[in-house]
Amino acid sequence: MSKQSKKKVQENFLNFNFDISAYRLLGRELITDRITALFEIVKNSYDANANLVEIEFISLNPLNDTSKIIIKDDGIGMYFEDLRDRWMVIGTSSKRRNRTSPEPYLRKVTGKKGIGRFAVDLLGSKLTLSTKRKDENRWIYLETDWTKYNELEEQQLSLPLGMEEGANKKKDFFTDIKNRYWFGKNDDKAGHGTILEIEDINDPWTEDDIKRACKELARLVSPNKGIQKYPFNIRIKSEYEGMKDLEIKPLSYIEFATISIELKSSKEKETQEIAVFENGKLLKKDTVKQSFGLIDFYLYYFDQPAKRKFKEKFNIDIDGIKIYRDGIITTPFAETEADQNKQKDILGIDKRRYSGFFDKINSRDLLGFVELTDENNAGLIEATNRQDFLDNKEWRSLKDFIIDQIHQIEKCLKNNKEQIRKNTKSNLNRATADLSGIKTLVKEVKETAPKELHEKLQLIDSSLSKLQGTVNKSIVDYTKLEEESKQKESLYFSLVSLQTYAAMFSHMTKHTIGHVLRDAEYFSSRFPNEKLEGRFKVISSRIYDEFLTLRKGVDFMLKYAQTDNEFEDINIHDLINNLFISIYKPTFDLNHIKSELILDDKLILHYNKKALEDIFDNLISNSIKALKTVKEGIIKCSGVIENKKLILKFSDNGLGIHSDDRFRIFEIFFTKTAEDGGAGIGLYMVKNRIEAMQGTIEVTDSEFKPNGATFKIVLPFKK
Amino acid sequence: MKVQVLIIEDNLKYKNDTLVWALEDKFDADNVVFEPDPKEALDYIKTNLDKNIIVFLDIQFPKGELDGHEILAEIRKMSELIPVILWSGVNENQEKFSDFINHNAFRFVSKTATLAEIMPIVDDAVSFFENNLDNTIEDWIIQKDGDKDKPVYFTGDGHSYSLNDILNHIRQQTDVGKSFSKKLNQLTIDLLLRNKKRLND
Repeated sequence: MSKQSKKKVQENFLNFNFDISAYRLLGRELITDRITALFEIVKNSYDANANLVEIEFISLNPLNDTSKIIIKDDGIGMYFEDLRDRWMVIGTSSKRRNRTSPEPYLRKVTGKKGIGRFAVDLLGSKLTLSTKRKDENRWIYLETDWTKYNELEEQQLSLPLGMEEGANKKKDFFTDIKNRYWFGKNDDKAGHGTILEIEDINDPWTEDDIKRACKELARLVSPNKGIQKYPFNIRIKSEYEGMKDLEIKPLSYIEFATISIELKSSKEKETQEIAVFENGKLLKKDTVKQSFGLIDFYLYYFDQPAKRKFKEKFNIDIDGIKIYRDGIITTPFAETEADQNKQKDILGIDKRRYSGFFDKINSRDLLGFVELTDENNAGLIEATNRQDFLDNKEWRSLKDFIIDQIHQIEKCLKNNKEQIRKNTKSNLNRATADLSGIKTLVKEVKETAPKELHEKLQLIDSSLSKLQGTVNKSIVDYTKLEEESKQKESLYFSLVSLQTYAAMFSHMTKHTIGHVLRDAEYFSSRFPNEKLEGRFKVISSRIYDEFLTLRKGVDFMLKYAQTDNEFEDINIHDLINNLFISIYKPTFDLNHIKSELILDDKLILHYNKKALEDIFDNLISNSIKALKTVKEGIIKCSGVIENKKLILKFSDNGLGIHSDDRFRIFEIFFTKTAEDGGAGIGLYMVKNRIEAMQGTIEVTDSEFKPNGATFKIVLPFKK
Repeated sequence: MKVQVLIIEDNLKYKNDTLVWALEDKFDADNVVFEPDPKEALDYIKTNLDKNIIVFLDIQFPKGELDGHEILAEIRKMSELIPVILWSGVNENQEKFSDFINHNAFRFVSKTATLAEIMPIVDDAVSFFENNLDNTIEDWIIQKDGDKDKPVYFTGDGHSYSLNDILNHIRQQTDVGKSFSKKLNQLTIDLLLRNKKRLND
């Protein structure tokens, strides 16, 4: 059975070499919609070194006998042997063996697992394939009628289990399906390529359907032409106006974008342009070649109105950053997943949790094109499923690079917003000043003006007063609004720490509840029993202890329910000690972490307790993550008083902070621990809280050199 | 039938948990072993493969030690006959369960479970033993007269085994034991299908 000879040519017929299950599995499960099917076929053409693919839709709405879809490319075409040994076989895709298309194009092959041919089935039931290599002198034609397959499929599914009687008539299996083939006239040297003529179309294609297909196909090719070594064009032909003979061009987004960044690289100088937000401006700067190699990167940000306009114009969603290699999309690979939530986020842009808060941007605000070339970016390797890249150093550094560039836009946006806020405020202030100026003027006029005008001037004066009142109220409202938004941010902070704490708390309570529950149960089912007297005593003292722990946890949690702005005298030693030896004790034990606190136990700070707890809470969580792979972890907090200031050093002997990251580490959404649930908010919050206390925080040389990290915190005594 | 319970749990607080007491009440204190060190626990299982052991296994262990996933995998390398009840405070839907299923974990019990919920699972584990091939053979040996060391099973390569030998091989999960179990199962099914034997007579 397994011998190759099974695929023998029978007169003018070829047999497919696969069976029902493979057919169903590959064809129907992998290609689920028509646009994807078109994509797969177009990808095949691309892999065959085509420069041009033409897709012709003939009489498809409504369907009739003349309905047809013809897909024609000028690729290398197939020899008869290719047709027999490749097209007719699945699973042994030539595409999986060769990762590039033939010379000189050497395109990275895009068709996956060679299932493109099954895409045809989704479009229509009958296929006539014609193909010719350049060096051949006749065309080959192959006719495949999928309707026969469907009939057979039903026959097979209804195959009775008992084959005793009446079943001696041998039934056809898929392997025995006959596909008629024939040759065109000899000495026909003209042309080469592959033409798929699909009939018995499954569903009508409306004008909108074809429009959508055009838009989706437009994404296949990078809009930043010129980078393509060998052009790849797609043309659509249909009866509809505007699509009678349409060359599909990548959409031009630039005119719609709110912010555009176009970064190039220079091969001669080995430099890479990057965007940096500095002194209120988004600047382009040259930097050294990065480890992933030189790239061009086009990044467009859209604000709400821009998004609306974009949507009106193109009727497609803005959906993040795509990576192209030599001008053709690599990944997320041309899957027409309409549901954005299901689309892959391989760059991790949306993994930055809470990206809706704090004016952060996500994939829905961004369009981006990362232009790789085979030559410059050999270290970036597409995973075989073409849905991701191999997780290596280069890929990680590219991801960091992209996220960092997005971050520059975020900084710019934040700055703009603050600028607008400032302007509004100063405009309002100027308006009041202007108004009082006018008022004085009116007063002066009134003094010299004739009497009959006085009444009118009085009217003007009182209207001005009213206006002044309105403006003043606006200023008050505006200030209030600003405060509210600050409070809102603070609330988000609380929610974020609450989420972290809730996870720890529920873990802790699980144990407590278990102990107490079983204790009570054991007691009630066995008491009284003299022999168990000792155990009963243990039970009662344990219930007591467990509830003490629980009480501490609940008290701690309660701070999230309290209002934010109450100040009180806080013993800072007790506060940190409570975190160290009761709140975080179980976590420390589990992770083999020792805690150490060297601090005067009489120091009192007058401040908001929750804010202080948030600070240390976050520093501790941060250290725990850094200590994840360290055997004997230490978290240490020590403090001294200098010049009426409390200088605290908070250290661990964990992974430490890379010197490059020293300044970035306090930036929001900067996280190196996304896998451990790090949202990149903790240290940002710490810094905010400390600055609100007129204090400072910085990273200094680690106390546990060469490992670990030390934060130096300076807090003024307020009294 | 004698049953032992081994509790593999790093948190020493659980040594005096009422679950341990309840198990002691049921199986006697001597038959309940609490072991905080995963390596020791695995050694214990290794040297006691001939016994019926029910294992309670915590999932989270301090870093640097084997965790529940790895311990279960190690146990399964030794034997498929040990019912391992996972016992954890981890949020159930956060854990990766596929390998637990692949390694044939007996049940999952939350650390908040009551004795009323846990003990029936322990009973299930006991009856799992009772229905096991090795225990059936043991019962047979105990009930029937005759020479238990008389060879009854001969392999193609010339070895012979008595009922006691077979029992040991099955409990130790040796190749001989596994092959015997498999063949016996095949034989039983074959006999049933050919109506040669009614099991219930």
